[in-house]
Amino acid sequence: MPFVDSLYNTAYRMTRNAQDAEDLVQETYLKAYRYYDKFEEGTNFKAWLFKILKNTFINNYRKKQQTPPQSDFAEIEDAFESRLSSDVTGQMKSPEEEILEDVLDEDVQRALDDLPPDYRMAVLLADLEGFSYKEIAGILELPLGTVMSRLYRGRKLLESAMLTYAKEHGYLRSGEPSKMRSSELREGSKEQK
Amino acid sequence: MNCSRVREIIFLYTDNELGEELLVSVQEHVVVCPQCARRIDYTRRLLTVVRKGCTRTRAPESLRKRILTSLRHPEVEWEG
Repeated sequence: MPFVDSLYNTAYRMTRNAQDAEDLVQETYLKAYRYYDKFEEGTNFKAWLFKILKNTFINNYRKKQQTPPQSDFAEIEDAFESRLSSDVTGQMKSPEEEILEDVLDEDVQRALDDLPPDYRMAVLLADLEGFSYKEIAGILELPLGTVMSRLYRGRKLLESAMLTYAKEHGYLRSGEPSKMRSSELREGSKEQK
Repeated sequence: MNCSRVREIIFLYTDNELGEELLVSVQEHVVVCPQCARRIDYTRRLLTVVRKGCTRTRAPESLRKRILTSLRHPEVEWEG
């Protein structure tokens, strides 16, 4: 069953629910089987499957998705942009560089779950699946420029949320070095899945 | 090439998506601009953290079975 793990992982991250993810992947395979004559030999089969997954997700699951209000993200992004502009001179290790070291896998997953679906899908295709921009444009049926901006904004939002969650751990107090490194913490925390 | 342009296209650079001409411009800029070099290094580390944090799991065995069963009887599943 080609690419079933990849499809399942993306489906799980998009639906945020194991049962929905299974249904989504099953329907993707059924459609692929049914419409196999539409697949152009010699083109990217994995990308074709992901395109079906994306369309099925939009048709069946998107309405069920609850996303945080857009204003939250606008605020995050504003905060990020102001930090960026204040960091132009950046001589010492910046707060972002420090906090990045304390980001846990759970922070990444939580931040990903928070992303609006359009951004999340673009980020997953690039960072989880390693598709090229051109492949992502084909899967999402979007111009290359839109893919670039979704990846840019999606990753910036992701970064901002990850750093915020890492800060919330309280392992790092402003101006003090971290008391416990993420590697020490990981040893004590079991994967949440 | 200047710092704000590098910031705009930083992911294209780290994703190896830049065309030859822009790629060379960024590389030349980075040699003389430690801030941009650091920003690129930070961005690479950021993306590594993201990739590592996206834990991958195997699709459940029950799902594989469900798919195989439904592919053997696609019409039933489809109409159901």
